[in-house]
Parts: sequence; structure tokens; C-alpha cells
Amino acid sequence: MKEIEKFTFEQGVAIEVKGMDLYYGNFQALKKIEMTMPEKQVTAMIGPSGCGKSTLLKSLNRMNDLVEGCRVEGSIKIGGVEIYEKNTDLTMLRKNVGMVFQRPNPFAMSVYDNIAYGPRTFGIKKRAELDEIVETSLKNAAMWEELKDRLHKSALSLSGGQQQRLCIARALAVQPQILLMDEPTSALDPISTGKIEELCGELKKSVTIVMVTHNMQQAARISDKTAFFLLGEMVEMGDTERIFSMPKDKRTEDYITGRFG
Amino acid sequence: MKAKAKKTTLEGAAKWTFAVCAAFSVFAVFAIVFFILYRSIPAFQKIGVFEFLFGETWAPHWEDKVLEGKTEYASIFGVSNIVQTSLIVTAGAAVLGGLIGVFTAVFTAYYCPKKLKGFFEQTVNLLSGIPSIIVGFFGVTVLVPIVEKLSPQGEGMGMLSAVLVLAIMITPTIASLSKNSLEAVPKEYLEGALGLGATKDQAVFSVLLPAAKSGIFSSLILGIGRAVGETMAVSFVIGGASGKAPDSFFKPVGSLTTTIAGELGEASFGSVHLSALTAIGFILLLFVLAINLVLTLVKRGGNREKTGWFAKLFRRKKLKETNASGKHSYRRGGAVQTALRFVSYFFAALVVFTILYLIVDIVVKGLPYISAHFLFGATKGANVTISAGLVTTLMVVGMTLLISLPLGIGGAIYLNEYAKKDSKFVKVVRLFIDTLSGVPSIVFGLFGMIFFCQICALGYSVLAGSFTMVLIVLPTIIRSTEESLKEVPQSVREGALALGASKVRTIFTVVLPSAIPGIITSIVLSVGRIVGESAALIYTSGAVVEMPTGYLSQGSTLSVFMYYFQCEGLHMNEMYATATVLIAIVLALNILIALLDRAFKKKTNGKDKKKV
Repeated sequence: MKEIEKFTFEQGVAIEVKGMDLYYGNFQALKKIEMTMPEKQVTAMIGPSGCGKSTLLKSLNRMNDLVEGCRVEGSIKIGGVEIYEKNTDLTMLRKNVGMVFQRPNPFAMSVYDNIAYGPRTFGIKKRAELDEIVETSLKNAAMWEELKDRLHKSALSLSGGQQQRLCIARALAVQPQILLMDEPTSALDPISTGKIEELCGELKKSVTIVMVTHNMQQAARISDKTAFFLLGEMVEMGDTERIFSMPKDKRTEDYITGRFG
Repeated sequence: MKAKAKKTTLEGAAKWTFAVCAAFSVFAVFAIVFFILYRSIPAFQKIGVFEFLFGETWAPHWEDKVLEGKTEYASIFGVSNIVQTSLIVTAGAAVLGGLIGVFTAVFTAYYCPKKLKGFFEQTVNLLSGIPSIIVGFFGVTVLVPIVEKLSPQGEGMGMLSAVLVLAIMITPTIASLSKNSLEAVPKEYLEGALGLGATKDQAVFSVLLPAAKSGIFSSLILGIGRAVGETMAVSFVIGGASGKAPDSFFKPVGSLTTTIAGELGEASFGSVHLSALTAIGFILLLFVLAINLVLTLVKRGGNREKTGWFAKLFRRKKLKETNASGKHSYRRGGAVQTALRFVSYFFAALVVFTILYLIVDIVVKGLPYISAHFLFGATKGANVTISAGLVTTLMVVGMTLLISLPLGIGGAIYLNEYAKKDSKFVKVVRLFIDTLSGVPSIVFGLFGMIFFCQICALGYSVLAGSFTMVLIVLPTIIRSTEESLKEVPQSVREGALALGASKVRTIFTVVLPSAIPGIITSIVLSVGRIVGESAALIYTSGAVVEMPTGYLSQGSTLSVFMYYFQCEGLHMNEMYATATVLIAIVLALNILIALLDRAFKKKTNGKDKKKV
């Protein structure tokens, strides 16, 4: 069996969205989105509920395919490859573009089996190799010390924060190039949130991160680029520092100063 | 003051009445166990427990011959071969029915196109509603000839046919319960697996299916319980040679249930034979109680942490820290899971094909023989009509509902309105209701014969049959009434109580009316159960073709007519015709349930909309 290939990023550009529209049935959820996400940086997407930021995130690894009546027009390129082509290889796409969901979703298996799930899916069967991947992934997610003695306990017995970091470790186990995070801390307490934010800072050395967040401080703390969404439109995108200090658009300013949303 | 005192005693009396209704299931289970054990004791005494359990020969008819000689009980009653037959057949059915059922459930839950899903689920439901006597008839007319061709000696009756018939009986149970637990797996699991790059097939077979394993396991155990207790369907195809060693799949043998059903009619009152058959019933009861116990344990275990003793067995050593190279070769996999998907297509198609074939085969052959005379005319000599069967069926349905509805509804009211949630009493009652619903119908028949016919001196009569049916349908009525009582919002009760209504008044004027959908559904389900029942009725209300003259005379329902025809062996056309009528009734009841379901759902939806 052939090894699954990776995306090659050129000139530091990981993802390029051009003139993208998205419809749920007759409802247009995203309108003419234009954005570029740089390699090995954290891009944050902020905006009020229902503005389409999660929808956009889910389009990037085509998890939207699960939603009935969802239709995408325009172009989304990852490493220069159009991902909404008919013959797109979803396995390759989703292996390289991992995802962490809003609510922790560990499988009903042991910690070890959760992390080994991805590698096993991709044909890695050797015990020693799996052991190594599990260990590396847990270390990368900064939970090795916590969990190394509990690897064969059920993942469902972990706390919510641990479950979410386990899900990050699980995503890392297939060595993704891009990690999509959909409000990864919204269901967590402040301490767990802090740990995950810290982790993002570490991870961006090797992985491109795109994150949706409700929490503007979080975006300000950890992201390099920030994009502001409103009613299905991307209003403004730029360096995080600039967006939060000198927003160009009035609507962005109203939002970050807390006038609505 | 006097009036107030009167009212409180009325309240108290009502409460106690409801409590007695709830406790009825407990009495029933104890009575069944007690009387069956009591009547088994002579057999254990005269035969010896060891000889009975481990003896290989079962030869009840030696009795007569040897009577002229010396010993009084020279017939030999050893059930070892019979027990082995039951175990083998049940295991075979569990494997086959389990495989087909689980794969069918996977198909329904994950692969069935939306448009087909309703039809497909209805079909599986329909299969579970087909009376076992009809499945047995299908077995003997269609499956046995096929097995004959496979058999080296050309014998079709035997364990293989029994396994096939049982698999048909238990597949719908396993399929629909497993489907429920598959659909209860959180959607996030699918997203999580797909998000890692797994294909849908990989997600289904390596994440979702394992996540539902405790529910699937319960459904398998329930299926095994049904298979152990199934009587009529098996007795048609197993060959009726009780006591023969089960050393081949292709020769006539006898199982626990078929031995009872086949020989109960010829064992004389008070004989060792009758007691030995009762003792077989007791063994059957023990099996079922054991299965129930396992089920309770599984259900309790399912809520706990997943890694139990099983995982501990395979627990591996701690990982040693390694020098990670970080280079791994990720390749495309999932061929196995994709193959499994096609297996699920195949089994789902097989289920639909079997049910359609069963119905079409019987209806095509039976329809030409149905006439007004056959349905409503009087039996004259060899020209048998089923009018007596229709009348008896109606009589049994009426009497059974008359008794079981008040009992069941009263019990449900106590459990839901009076008892403290999760009190000991409620737990015990629930356990016994579950146990009662798992008791095989032949054991009910045995108990009915001992208790109603003999001890209560009702003889073989429609009344004794109806009393027996009360025990069978009671769990269904209690459960579905309770379900709909639970859905009545607490605020409705509070509203009535706040107006000064007494508790009893609140229940009868406000709570029960809202529970009517559940009660109607339970009535329809009960009617289906009564119409399809045969094993419990043959030895309580009799197997005759004459028109019953009243509740104290013998009478046979339509399903028992099928049995009668089968025993006589001369009435092939009448069998097809009767089976057609039964299928029509089952089909009508199924459609009725679907329509009721839709009507009630619409009604509640309408209510919700108004609220908003």
C-alpha cells in the first residue's frame, strides 16, 4: 500500500480561500469569503454566534459533507490543491487536516486505543511503533506525565479538560499538517483552558492551527492572525495585534469593544 | 370530619389496590416457580436427580410395557440429550441470528437510504410479529426441503432446520434492539473518527459498533432467552425424537420445549411422565432466570466504567520511554471494513427476502382456499372451517384484556404515581416484570395446566387459556402504560392538585387520559401476542375444532388451529389458508400501530406548537 502523501506549502501559505459561498439548502451561510492562512501560525476566527465561523472551519476538512443539503461554491486550496474537486481524496485531506471539536469526543476505548486509533486506521499495526506514537503524541500534548500510568483506563473516565487534550493528542497521532480547532475550550474550566492555550503555543512550531473562538481574550493571547466574521461575511482579517488595537472596520471595532455580540 | 375520614380511607384503599396490582407480577413469578417445582418433585424422587439430569435415555413409553412385569416406573427419564440439544440449537441460533441481526442493525442505523429506512424497519417489525407457529410452518414447508438436499442422508428434520427457524425468530429482536443502541451512540464519535481521516466504514466498524457493545450484548442475551424458550416453531422442524443424541445436524432430535409440547398431551395425570415433563419445564425456567440475571448484570455493568475484568486480562505492561524517531509510514487501510459493509448489505437483503418470501409463499397458496364458508361456516366432518377459531380468538382476547388491563394499568399507576423512584419495592417489581416477560410460553402453558386447569379445576377451557394469557401480556401492558405515564408532565398533576383535587381524582381525570396513547398501543400489542400464541394455549384451552359453547368449554384460537391441522396432517390447504388469515391479522395490527404512532406524534407536536 502506498504511503499517504502530504500537502506541500509554498511561500508560507497553508490555506487559501477565494470567493467561497456556502449554502445550507436555500440559506446562504457564508458569502464571498476571501482569506489566506499562513503556515505554522495560529489563525483565530472570531465573531458572534451564527456568523459562520464554525461553518467555514468545518469546510476546511470537508466535515460539512456530513450536513445534509450543504453546498460549497468558490475555491478552497490547501497547499495549492483544490479540496472541493470531485476526485478529492478525503482520507488524505482529513489525515493532514486534523480537527478538535467543541466538545471533547474521546471514543469509548482506553486512552491508549484512542490515540492508536488513527495510526491503526492507516495501517500501522506494530506494537512498538504504536507505543512510540502514543508516547510522542501524549508528550506533544503535554499529558504524558499525567497519563503514562493510566494508558489502559477508559478515556471516558478522564476529566473534561483531560479528554479535550486527549483529543488533541489523538489528532496529533496521525501527524497532521494543519489542526482545526472548533471552540476547543468552550466546554472547559479556566485551568484546562490555560493548558490548552499553552499547548497551542508549543504546537505551532510544527503545525498550522486554525481556531474558532468565542473568547476574544483567547484570540488576543494566542493567535498570530485574527479574522472577524459577521452574518456570514468576513469583515476583516489581519495581524492579531493590529485587529485588536486599530480595527479598520467600524463593525469590528464595535464587536471587540463589546458594543454587541 | 366524617366525610374527610371517608375520603382518606378511599385514598388509602386506592393506593393499596394499585400496590397489589403492581405486586401481582411478583406473586405470578413465585407461583409459577413454586407450582412447577412442586409438581416436579415426584419426578426427582422417583427417578433420582442424578439419573434425571445426566441420564441419556428418554423413553417414556416403556412404562406401559413393563407395568405387566415387575417394576412400576421402568420407563427411563434422562434429559441429558434433550438439554444438550437445546444448548446446541440455541448456540447455533445465537451465532446465526446474532450475526444477521447485528449486521442488519448496522445497515439500518448507518447505511440504509433515508427513503427506504421506514419500510425496512417496518419489515423487520413485521417479522418479529409473525406467530411462531407460522414460522414453524414456513420451516417445514420451505426450509426442511432445502436442508434435505444438503443432508447426506436426505433427512431435513433436525437441528440444522431448528437453528434456521430459530434464527428467523430471534433476528428481528436482535436487529431492532441493536439498532436502538447503535443510534444512541453520540454523533460526535462519527465526527471524531472521520476528522482523523477514517472512512465511514472504518468509523462504523471500529468506533461506533464497539461503542454500542453493551447494548448489542444485551440484545444478544435477550435473543438467546427467546431461542431457549421458543417452542412451536422448533417443534415443527426438529423431528420430535426426544432423547436421541444430538450427534448430527441432520437427524430428528428433541429439545426441552419440544419435548414438553410434544408429550404433554399423552402423559396421564399423576404419572411420573407428567412430572418429568414438568421438571423439564423447571430446567427451562432455571435457564431463563439465569439469562435474566446475566442481563441485569450486563445492564448494570454497562453504566460503569468500560474497562472491567475483560480488559484487565489483556492489560499490558507500562510503556517504556523510547527514543522517538517520529517517522512513520501512514498508509491507506479500511479494506476489511468496506468488506464488512457489503456483508451488512447482504444480510439486510437476506432478511427482507426471507420475510417477503415467507409471506408471499403462504398467501399465494392460502388465498384460493379462503371463502366465506371457510371463515364463518360450521365444521361438518372432514370439512373443517375456522369459524370456531375466530370466535375463540375473540373470546380469549376479550377476557384477557378485561383482566389484564385493570391489573396492568393499576400496577403502572402504582409504580409511577405512588412509589418512590428507585425504591426497593419498585426495583423488585421491575425485576419480576422483566422475569415474567422472559418466561417461555410453554412454561406458561405448563403452569396454566397445573394451576388453572387442575388445581382450580377449570379443566381445559377458554377461561383457563385466558387466565394464562393474562400472565403473558401483563408485562407489556405495565411497561407501555408506565412509559406514557412518565411522559405526562409533572405540572399537569400539580395543576389538578392545586385546585384541591384528591390524588385519586387527579390520576383518573388528568393523568390517565394523557396516557391513553400508550394504553392503546399496549392493547394492540397484546392482541398481537394473543393471536400469535399457541404453546401456552394448547394445554390450557384445548386443541379442538368444535365451536366453544362458553368460557368453560374447550376452544382453540386460530394459532392453535394451525397446530391441530399439523397434528392431523391432512389439512395442508386449510393450514395455508389459516396462516394467511393470521398473517393478515398481524399485518393489520402492525399497520394499526404505525398509524397510531403517527397520529399520537402529530397530536403532541400540534400541542407543542400551540404552546409556542
